[in-house]
Amino acid sequence: MKALSWLYLALAYAFILLPVGVLVVFSFQDGRLPVPPFQGATLKWYGQVLADRDLTAALLNSAMVAVVSSAVALVLGFLAAHGLARVRLPGSVLMRGVLIAPMTVSYLIIALGLLNQFNQMGLRPSLWATGVGHVVINLPLCFAILYAAMGDHQKSAERAARDLGASEWRVLTLVSAPMLAAPMAAAFFLSVTFSWDEFIIAFLLTRFDVTLPVEIWSLLKSGLSPKTNAVGSLVFLVSVTAVLALELFVFRGKK
Amino acid sequence: MARFASVSVLALLTASPALSQELNALVWCDHTDPALVQPFEEKHGIKVNLKEYEGTAAGLAILEQSQPGDWDVLVIDAVDVGRAVEGGHLAEIAPDQLATADFFPELVMAENNMVGGKTYAVTEKFGYNTIAYDKTKVDPADMADMATLTSGKYDGRIAIYDYYLPVLGLVALGQGVATKDITADTLATLKDPLFKLKAASKQVSDVVSAQTALATGEVDIMIGGGEWVTAVLAADNPNLDWTIPKQGGLRWAQSIGVVAGSTQPDMALEFVKYITSPEGQARLATSSCYWGMPANAKAGDVLTPEQKAILRWDEQAEFLKRAQLYPIPDAALDTAMQDMWTEMLQQ
Amino acid sequence: MTLQTRDRRLGWGLVAPALVWTALFFVLPFLGMVALSFARMEERAVVPAFDPGNYTRILTDPVMLQALLNSLQITLIVTVISVLLAYPLAAIIAFRIPRQWQRLALLLAVLPFWTSYVVRSYSWLLVLGQNGVLNKTLGLVGLGPLEIAASRAATVTGFVHFFVMLLTLTIYANLIQLSPNYARAAADLGANRWQVFAHVILPLTLPGVVTGAFLTFVLGIGDYITPQILGGGNELTLPQLIMLQLGRSGNFPLASALSVVLMAVVTLAYFACAKWLRLDRV
Repeated sequence: MKALSWLYLALAYAFILLPVGVLVVFSFQDGRLPVPPFQGATLKWYGQVLADRDLTAALLNSAMVAVVSSAVALVLGFLAAHGLARVRLPGSVLMRGVLIAPMTVSYLIIALGLLNQFNQMGLRPSLWATGVGHVVINLPLCFAILYAAMGDHQKSAERAARDLGASEWRVLTLVSAPMLAAPMAAAFFLSVTFSWDEFIIAFLLTRFDVTLPVEIWSLLKSGLSPKTNAVGSLVFLVSVTAVLALELFVFRGKK
Repeated sequence: MARFASVSVLALLTASPALSQELNALVWCDHTDPALVQPFEEKHGIKVNLKEYEGTAAGLAILEQSQPGDWDVLVIDAVDVGRAVEGGHLAEIAPDQLATADFFPELVMAENNMVGGKTYAVTEKFGYNTIAYDKTKVDPADMADMATLTSGKYDGRIAIYDYYLPVLGLVALGQGVATKDITADTLATLKDPLFKLKAASKQVSDVVSAQTALATGEVDIMIGGGEWVTAVLAADNPNLDWTIPKQGGLRWAQSIGVVAGSTQPDMALEFVKYITSPEGQARLATSSCYWGMPANAKAGDVLTPEQKAILRWDEQAEFLKRAQLYPIPDAALDTAMQDMWTEMLQQ
Repeated sequence: MTLQTRDRRLGWGLVAPALVWTALFFVLPFLGMVALSFARMEERAVVPAFDPGNYTRILTDPVMLQALLNSLQITLIVTVISVLLAYPLAAIIAFRIPRQWQRLALLLAVLPFWTSYVVRSYSWLLVLGQNGVLNKTLGLVGLGPLEIAASRAATVTGFVHFFVMLLTLTIYANLIQLSPNYARAAADLGANRWQVFAHVILPLTLPGVVTGAFLTFVLGIGDYITPQILGGGNELTLPQLIMLQLGRSGNFPLASALSVVLMAVVTLAYFACAKWLRLDRV
C-alpha cells in the first residue's frame, strides 16, 4: 500500500512535470525543429526573445493589466463583501448570486459579450477593454474569498472602533482591511495569476498593444521557432521565482 | 469607488485614436516580421502597428466595426480586392505612383486590383497552393497526380491546409472543374472528393502547425502547401519539396492598398510603395511567417542566389502557366463553401 | 434617521460599485449577445431582426449538434479522469507526506501552472508527436509508437494535465480540513479502511470535489486553445465553432447564438451540481 502510494506519486509528478521539462530542454535546441534528437545546446533563442521589442512590450502590458485589474477587482470585491457581510440587506442572497455568477460563465462568452458591447458603443479594442474583462472574471473570486473570510471577531472589532467614534472610512481602512490582510493578499495574487495568463478575453479585446499570451499565440502562428519554447521557459522561471519569493517572505510567517 | 469605475470608463471613452506618428495596418502574418517593417519605421520615424487576420471575411468584419481613420493600410487576397472596394474600404491610388511596370506581367492583375477603371490596390506577393511533400518519404512521381492522394497509399500521412478557398479550388481542379467555374451546383460535386481527402488525412492545420507537422515528420504530404511551407524550412529540413500536379494548382496572390478614410493617406501610400519596392519586396518574399515570390521582378536584384533558388525563381514561367487563381465566390457561395468546410472538419 | 436605515444606506453604498460593474460589464453584454443572436446575416452584413433561425440551425444542423456533443463528451471525460487522478494524489500528499513537506509537494504538483497557458498546450504537442519525446522514449524500449497527436486523445491529455493540478489543490484543501478524529472514530466502531473512506472521508469532501469538478467543466467546455492546438482539426468543439464563425465568416449573430447555447449547457450543469456547490466558499 505504501509502495503503491509512492509509485503513484512518482508517476503523477512525471506526468505533471513532463511538458515543462520538454519545453525547457528544447528551448536550448540548436536548430528549429523542437523534436528529438537534441542537436546541442544554444542560448540564441533566449537572445532573440530578449531582443524582441514586441514580446517585452507585451510582457509589460500583461503585468500592468494584471496588477490594475486585480487591484480594482480586489477593492470592489472587498467593499461588496464588507457590505453584504455586515449589513442585512433585502435581496442579499440574490446579490451574492449576481456577484458570483461570472465565475460560472466561460471566458469566451464574457469576451464575446464585451466585444459586441464595446463595438456598439464605438469603443476600440484596447488594453483597457481587456482590463475591464479581467475585472469581471476576478471580481467574483475576490468577493468570494473575502466574504468567506469575514468572521465574527472582525465584526466585534469594527463595532468597537465605531463605538469609539471612528468614521466608517477609518473603520474600513484601519480595522477591517488590515485584519483581512492575508486573504486579501491571497485574492490579489490569485487574480494576478488569472489575469496574467488569460488568453481569449485579451485576444478578442486587444488590437495593437497586446498581452503576453496573445503575443505568444501570434508567435506560435507566425513561424516554427524554438523562440516559443524560450518564452515559455522564461515566463516559467519568472513566475516560479515570484511564487517562491512570496512563499518565503510573505506567507511564511502566517502559519 | 464609483468614481474609480467612472474614471476607467472615461479613459476608455476618450482613449485616443491612433497617434499621428503611427500607421495602422491590417495584414497577413508575413508582414509582422520586424525585419520587414523596421527599415520603413526608421526612415520615416513612424511606428507601424500591425494586426493580423485570417480570411477575408474576418478582415472585412474588422473594418466594418472600426471607425473611419482607424486603419491606414490593408493587405488582402488579390481576388478579394473587389469585395473590399464594394464595401467602401479601399481608397483610390494614383496608378503612376506604383511600380507595376517592373512587375511580372501576370502579377499586375489589373482585373482584380482595378474596379471601374480605378486602381485600388497593388499585388505584392504570390505563390502556389499545391502539394508539398517530403521527397525522402514519398515517391515524388506519385505527387504528379492528385488521384494518388486518395488511393490509400498515403492514408494518415497527409495534412490539409486549413483554408477553404485554395483547398476547395484544388479539389475542383482534381475533378476537372476550373476554379472560376465553381458554382453552387459544381460545389455539390466536390463534397465527396473533399471528404475522401479528409478521410485519408491525419490533420487539418493552419500555416505553422502544418509546417511543424511536415518538418518533424508528423505527416509527409501537405495539400494546399507550396513554397510558402517548404521555403522557410529549407535550412532545417532540405528534403521538403513541392510540385504542381498534372491537374494543375492554385496561385495565391496578396494585394496591398490604402484604406478609405485613412487620416494619413500619403504616409499609407508611402508604405505601399515601400512594400512594392525592390528592397521591401525582397524582405517580404523571405519574411518569417512564410516565403513567397515577390510581384516586383526587380526584387530579383536584391535577393541572394540561394534565396532565389529556394523560391524557384527561374521556374516561375512554367508555374504561372499551369496555376489558376483562387475561386471568387459571391456571398451565398462563400457561405456554402465555408459550411462545407466546417462539415469536413467535423468528419 | 434611524440606525438601521443609516446602516442600510451604507451597505448599499458598499455593494453598489461591484453590482454596477457586474451589471454593466457582465449582465448587459450578455443581454446584448442574446439580442444579437436573433439577428440575421444578409449579404455579409448583420441585419437586426427577431429571427430564431440561428437556433433552429444549431438544433438541426448535424455539424453544430456534433460540435455540442463533442464538447460535452470531451469535457465529461476530462472531468471524470481528472477527479479520479487528482483525488489519490491529493490524498497521498495530505496523508502520506510529512506535514512540513506538504506545501513543497503541493507546489511541485502545480508547478506547470506557472508556464504560460498557450505554451503549455504547445509543449504537449511536442511530447505527443509521432517523433515526439514520448514516442522516441517508447521506441527505446521497443514499444509504440502511440498515435496520440492530432486527435481527441491529445486534447484530453492536455486538459487532464491542467485540471489535475487545479483539482489536486482544491481536494487537498478539503482533505486537510478533516479532523482525523472522524476517521479514528469510524475505525474504532469497526470500519475498515475502505469503509472509512466511503462513508466518512468521501462524503465530507464531496462538496469540494463537486465544486472543483464543476469549475473543471466550466473552464474546459469554454476553452478554445487546447482543442485548437492539440486536436489537429479532426473534430470541432463548440468554442472552435464559435471562433470559426467570428474569425472566418464574421458571422456575429451565429457566434452569439452558439455562445448562448454554451451558456445554457453550463447553466444546466450548474443546476445538476447546485446541491453540493460551494462557490462562495472556494
